[in-house]
Amino acid sequence: MVLLQLEKERLVWRARQVAGPDHRRQSSFYPTLDAHLQGGWPHSGLVELACGPAGIGELRLLLPLLAQAQSRLQVWINPPAELNGQALAQHGIDLSQTLLIRCQNPQQALWSAEQSLNSGCFSHLIMWALRLTAPQAKRLQVSAKDNQALMFWLHSQAEPSTSALPVSARLSLAPVATGLRLQIYKYQGLWPQHPCQVDMHELWPSLATPGHSSPHHVPVLMNNIVALPSKLW
Amino acid sequence: MQWLYLYFPSLQLDSLLHQQAYNQACVLVHKNEVVQTNPEARQLGIKIGTGLAQAALLCAQLKVIAYESKQEQRLLAQLAQRLYQTSATLYLDPPQGLLLQTSDMLRLYKGLAPYWQQLQQPLMERGLHYHYASAHSPLAAQVLARAGNDRLLTNQDEATRLLSQLPIHRAGLDHKLSLQLERLGLNTLGQAQALPRSALGQRLGQTLVTFLQQLETSSAPSWPAYQPPERFRQRLELLYEIEHSTALRFPLKRLLSDLEAFLAPRQLRAAGLSLGLEYQEHASERLHIGCSDGEYRAESWLALSMLRLEQLKLQAPIIAVSLKTKGQMPWAPLSAQLFEPPGGKLTAGQLISRLQSKLGDHAVQQVYLQDDHRPERSFYQGLPQSHYQSQQATRALRPSLLFTLPQALNHKPDHRWCILSGPERIQSGWWDNVSICRDYFIARNPIGQVCWLFRTPREEWFLHGYFS
Repeated sequence: MVLLQLEKERLVWRARQVAGPDHRRQSSFYPTLDAHLQGGWPHSGLVELACGPAGIGELRLLLPLLAQAQSRLQVWINPPAELNGQALAQHGIDLSQTLLIRCQNPQQALWSAEQSLNSGCFSHLIMWALRLTAPQAKRLQVSAKDNQALMFWLHSQAEPSTSALPVSARLSLAPVATGLRLQIYKYQGLWPQHPCQVDMHELWPSLATPGHSSPHHVPVLMNNIVALPSKLW
Repeated sequence: MQWLYLYFPSLQLDSLLHQQAYNQACVLVHKNEVVQTNPEARQLGIKIGTGLAQAALLCAQLKVIAYESKQEQRLLAQLAQRLYQTSATLYLDPPQGLLLQTSDMLRLYKGLAPYWQQLQQPLMERGLHYHYASAHSPLAAQVLARAGNDRLLTNQDEATRLLSQLPIHRAGLDHKLSLQLERLGLNTLGQAQALPRSALGQRLGQTLVTFLQQLETSSAPSWPAYQPPERFRQRLELLYEIEHSTALRFPLKRLLSDLEAFLAPRQLRAAGLSLGLEYQEHASERLHIGCSDGEYRAESWLALSMLRLEQLKLQAPIIAVSLKTKGQMPWAPLSAQLFEPPGGKLTAGQLISRLQSKLGDHAVQQVYLQDDHRPERSFYQGLPQSHYQSQQATRALRPSLLFTLPQALNHKPDHRWCILSGPERIQSGWWDNVSICRDYFIARNPIGQVCWLFRTPREEWFLHGYFS
């Protein structure tokens, strides 16, 4: 009787009730990352990316994935600046399949994220939000899993939030000369890993720091910049 | 031909009281005279024609509402719209009557009783009091119904017999004429019918003769039959003033279920609704609620409207609500993809409408490309459209995050910055007075952000975006 009571209150779990970790993956289109993560990003769920300052390459990490998976819509919630349509289209993202949501407060952002996930029309969500509480993260995680969507939560802290958040994966990104260095704090179905370097040089040759990966690249010095005409017209 | 006449002696009052259970005496008053009463008022002895002062004496807590013939006509048209689902040919007889041609419908419903059952249902739903009668001629049905006959007669002889027994003062003739007839000693309609028509005409005027003739003619009335409107438009007057927007849920639900009953048989969906809120002593307000995919179900519209109304602050108490459709289109299949794996609960259009109702129309956007060399004008954000042809993107490398307004750099980039590419000169826009002349550089700053910088001819440096 006691056991039944405990089971009812979900204090005791039977081993067969617990579903094993979802081993399905979707490729990140970065071979080193795929190898490191045993196949790539989770198939569905919430992924926390602690990016530090914006602009270190956090979207470049995701763009190849987004460009490949366009059977359903994708949504961007509260990007820190304007999303440049030209850049997205350059990387093969279909803008007609992309929605942009701007909310005035964090509650609205969470509401729209949950609505979008529950509608089942989105395959990928990218949301910028300062912080999530454990219940909020849990709701998003469950919605994403139920609707087979992958949601990336980006924030500008250098370190991921406390370990209590129920997310599928928690990573922090740091810039290096050739791309990004990923520190993996939690990844469902994987043991703790060493940090991993993602080389973006092949996809974005002109954004890699010269001297490190492309010896043929001639560094441009500040001083030999062509002068602008001093007067217009 | 067979005719059925429905008479609603207290149409406006019933519609008002139906909104809420109200069990106290309530009357409609027109020119200081009671014109409609509810059963509670009748119990207290208030009759139609009682003066307002006397009625107030009979009941101190009497609720008095002004009678509006326009509103009653509107209600009658709404009712006709609903009954049109059941009966094909019907005529409005304002202010309180509806005439239905039954003979054509009997074959469909296999008899008068099932047909009548179908007709009664919407009347009960609306809580209306009514009298009815069926007869061989429109006027006979009208006279019998107004006299409170409440019987369905298929037999012409019986109708004629009932008519002939009807007292003159209840035949619906005007007061002066019936008084004249009674003075002649004619107390029932039958007695008047028995007299020679020409003599009656000479003595009492042509109106009576026409009246008697029309009692027997079974042809359709001279005015045109009811035609349902093309677009939905309805107004609901409230019994109580509403002060909180969430309390609008109930009247709105009623309007929306009428909307569904309007759209569903026509296989139409509405692209948008215009909800009118009429304030007391304030200009009325119109809200637009959109649903890009179109929708007809009351439930979905209610959810969308409530999202919108929750954010609304009412300026004054609301006395009436009106609803009309904006754009109607035929039904379309909900999903084009049969083999799409996860069954989406909403379509993208429905989701967009839901988000827009809550966050405002401009919170949900799509990015469109534009042919312009100026980076800030090479794309724009607009309301989502389901179909559009995307343009070719530029070949030059562009940052994924762009600032609307370039941010001025306090210091010129120094040796700690690493220039990755540049300069790329963009000089454009002389034709519309927003000309720019900039040298763009891609540079990595000391903390590792890949920035898009530009320099103006005046050697000022700006940060315009990140290669995020």
